[in-house]
Amino acid sequence: MADTRGGVHGAKSPAGQPAAEPGGVVGQQPPSPAPLAPGTAAGWVPRLAGIAAGAARQRESGIILAGIIIFIIFSITSGGQFDTASTWGTIVGSAAELGIVTVGVAMLMVGGDFDLSVGANFAFSALVMAIMTQHGYPVLAGLVVAAAIGAGIGLLNAFATLYFDIPSFVATLGTWLLWSGITLVVAGGATITVFSSSAVLRVLGGPLFGQFSFEGVWWLVIAIVIGVVLHRTVFGNWVFAVGGRRQAAYEAGVRVARTRTLNFVVCGLLAALAGAVTLGHLSSMAESYGTYYQLYAIAAAVVGGCALYGGRGSIFGAVIGSVILSMLDTGLILSGVSTYWYQAVVGIIVVLAVAMHTRVGRLIRGGGE
Amino acid sequence: MEQATPERTPVFQAERVSKQFGSVVALADVDLDLYPGEIVGILGDNGAGKSTFVKIAAGVHQPSRGTIRFDGKPVRFRSAWDARRAGIEAVHQDLGLVDSMSIARNFFLGAELKRGPLLDLRRMRRETIRLLTEIGLGNLRDVGQDVSRLSGGERQAISIGRAVAFERKLLILDEPTSALSVQETEKVFEYIRMAKRNGLAVLVIMHNLVQVAAIADRFVVFWHGRKAGDFPNTGQSERELSEYILLGRPASGEPASFQHLPAAGGRAGDGTHR
Repeated sequence: MADTRGGVHGAKSPAGQPAAEPGGVVGQQPPSPAPLAPGTAAGWVPRLAGIAAGAARQRESGIILAGIIIFIIFSITSGGQFDTASTWGTIVGSAAELGIVTVGVAMLMVGGDFDLSVGANFAFSALVMAIMTQHGYPVLAGLVVAAAIGAGIGLLNAFATLYFDIPSFVATLGTWLLWSGITLVVAGGATITVFSSSAVLRVLGGPLFGQFSFEGVWWLVIAIVIGVVLHRTVFGNWVFAVGGRRQAAYEAGVRVARTRTLNFVVCGLLAALAGAVTLGHLSSMAESYGTYYQLYAIAAAVVGGCALYGGRGSIFGAVIGSVILSMLDTGLILSGVSTYWYQAVVGIIVVLAVAMHTRVGRLIRGGGE
Repeated sequence: MEQATPERTPVFQAERVSKQFGSVVALADVDLDLYPGEIVGILGDNGAGKSTFVKIAAGVHQPSRGTIRFDGKPVRFRSAWDARRAGIEAVHQDLGLVDSMSIARNFFLGAELKRGPLLDLRRMRRETIRLLTEIGLGNLRDVGQDVSRLSGGERQAISIGRAVAFERKLLILDEPTSALSVQETEKVFEYIRMAKRNGLAVLVIMHNLVQVAAIADRFVVFWHGRKAGDFPNTGQSERELSEYILLGRPASGEPASFQHLPAAGGRAGDGTHR
């Protein structure tokens, strides 16, 4: 696809131009403090300082700091219950359920699109999987069907958005209502419980050790895979370009429609996988389990530094954002605060996070790769 | 400038190219040859057809009738991507750069360097530096920084540098200096001349006649969808040029400046043959 016609190496150069230094910098400006700059002084002190400076320039640095502060606060207010392994098992587990959804939503947002149907997708595909299991189909078959449904819902979102050329926010607002309606038709408001000792279910969301479940493992794997895809592949580069400036991306030869479509499909697939993992953990599923997931996923992505208008964000940030939301949930309970406050606190955190990202972004724009 | 290529084979040829949008004729029977190493300034009032022509050349629009030859072969671009792959780099007013991405990622956008299935970011960075320096655009800073930090002139530098580095044969610039300071304009002219020295044919649209006269080797005038003039830049005054643009021919009494005009298809440029 990417056709450079070998020109990159054969660039015609007028005589007398100085060759580039391998340093990472052209011209008069001093080198950036990025950790990549080689040859800057030997010794580990300046190198560490360089790495620290580079890290501070990253968009996510502020939110990591905020996460640490939240952690410290809850450690104090919970009377020693917060910073324990079993609490963190719970936090990671619930962060994973939201986090797997958020990974897809974040990549989609970087590409300049939204998916409000992920919550309905999550519940519907997992309910189909639960019902299939109830009827004696192998869990693996249910998982494959759920994944196909999730990807299919994503494909439908892409079609609705691209074919009608409407904002994905509106298109997926429609498909959200469509799929949650269908879910209610299929399962009613009932909770469907799966009685199965299937190894597949256990590996999806069963206990790993202590309070830790397999959910966190899948989340980690998915986050790493999608992180590499978004930040280190041509597709990911195209996602950033499409979200940053669609017209420029198109003119540069980026297959815009294909990129957006694949992004919707991945987002839908991940929502379904999150549903499957949750089913594996709870052995039950209901329409209500996915309610507001789309909004919390967007909140987590935004807290982690995804720009609402596309073009900026990271999977790492999305992971941190999910952890922060999950910390709030568990931390409030352990601090004796009513869970009803959760929503309110998330609301405040979202606004503060966006304000911070905007300001920090202005200060450090150019923070590089 | 003086290094006109000896064989003078046109790299780009439009033959009786027409474009209709519904019942509106935007472009009628335009013939135009572009040669390597020359800078052609496209002149014309709003709606004269110059941007329609440029968009056809860049693959954005498809001609309703007529033939485009590129490198001697008839081509039919279905998209801007087709045209770019063939070797035509079009830099539109919005510059085609993604602000939120780094210089290096922008430079290789659509032509990314890979190592296995992954982007070779390190090589992309290194190559961007090397290529920009090699072609004389060495006044850029850290290529890892976002394009949003660059000035208008620096953005032009990247776009033009990309055209040269990827060995495009035709560079189309749509108002490259419209938002620039005088100093930056001068720099961008340097980049354009560098592209020319590298053997690219350059097509520029500029509203500022003083500026276009400072850079173009040849002028092509569009008037009411037709090519009304095609003549070398022999130092015509701004007034002479603007009258030509308005009338579609030289104003009476001053045809002398345009005597080098090769018959402009014998259609609208008749006034010049006296």
